[in-house]
Amino acid sequence: MKALLPLLVVLLASCTSTTVDEFRQGETGINSDESIVILGRRHSSDYETRAEFVDCVGERMTSGNDSISVIPEKEFVDAMFPWFEPRTAPLRTRDLERLMAEPVVAEKMAEFGVRYMVWLDGFTETSGRTGTISCTVGPGGAGCFGFGSWEDDSTFDARVWDVASLQNVGTISTDATGQSYLPALVIPIPLIARVEANACVRLADQLKQFVNGE
Amino acid sequence: MNYSIRSIAKTLCMAICALALASCGVSKVVIQGSYPSPNVAKLPLSLAVVYDEPLRNFSYIEYSETGAEEFNIASGASHVALFDAVLPAMFQSVVEAASLEEAESLGVDAIFVPAIDEFQLALPNKTKLDVYEVWIRYNLRLVSGDGSPIADWVLTSYGKTPTENLRTADAAINDAAVVALRDLASSFSLSFAQVPEVRDWLASR
Repeated sequence: MKALLPLLVVLLASCTSTTVDEFRQGETGINSDESIVILGRRHSSDYETRAEFVDCVGERMTSGNDSISVIPEKEFVDAMFPWFEPRTAPLRTRDLERLMAEPVVAEKMAEFGVRYMVWLDGFTETSGRTGTISCTVGPGGAGCFGFGSWEDDSTFDARVWDVASLQNVGTISTDATGQSYLPALVIPIPLIARVEANACVRLADQLKQFVNGE
Repeated sequence: MNYSIRSIAKTLCMAICALALASCGVSKVVIQGSYPSPNVAKLPLSLAVVYDEPLRNFSYIEYSETGAEEFNIASGASHVALFDAVLPAMFQSVVEAASLEEAESLGVDAIFVPAIDEFQLALPNKTKLDVYEVWIRYNLRLVSGDGSPIADWVLTSYGKTPTENLRTADAAINDAAVVALRDLASSFSLSFAQVPEVRDWLASR
């Protein structure tokens, strides 16, 4: 029974389900001298795509087989300033077309060798918080007792724009959900579902295949 | 070393009291950020910029619901750093002047005088949203080299940053303010020549 406990912990902690949908609208493929840039959407009033998620997808795409050169978001946004700020960033491909008509933008884009621009839009929502945990500190020591659980839901869309043809070539959507538990018997034992991390891995792997034209 | 339960409890009590006292005071946030130079076509103008004392020393105080000072946000130095990064990328030459009178004696094409009209902060515990928000309203003034008025316009900027575990309110306010300052830089650099009075003045040159 004791031997099964770590296994149970791992199973509970990894209890996440992820769905990935791909919608292709054009042919893709990338040369070794070309790069992609992954940018987070931040124009919505009630949420913004976390920079950490954007970095996670980028790092995953630059590693492993068929890795792709990814320009870090901050480096790109700073170099292109002020054209990719939340208020000025292109929302549609025809806005990108207008932007590319600016000589400074086209020049910088060519310098970076950007072939695809990937727009990530989404967030992770926590819901269904239940249970209570109470902790006590006294001269004799400290301890917690109780049980808590919650559900995380990560929904992200990745729109891929071909900078060469100025077309939207596809959209990849990912939806990951998972239940986390926090039992506390003297010491709280967090069994956290890695929902956003799983969404990042699945989305990055799918994006890598998509951009490579597989 | 020997530590008795009494001495540990005493130290713990002192630490908790110190924390409690610290949380009662006003939190001073000095906005710090880096601002890239904008990639825009330079206007063939020589410009003098005057950062007056209210701008240099600008700070905003946010009060709690009980009326106590909660945050003191100093953004004057950051505004000067921002304009120092933006203006040289927009104009052929930029010099700083201590006053309008000094600027008029420099023989430049135009003099720029930025000022902060209003600063607003929205905290998650008050708005019940998971974001820290900063709004800033500016009054921007452009006068010709001899001091005659060219344009006087208002520009607003906005920045937000989501709440995150392990990030302090000070850090979140700083991040939201930096986003707002970048928003100012982008709006200003892209819309300067479109301000009707500025556009007319540029056309008449």
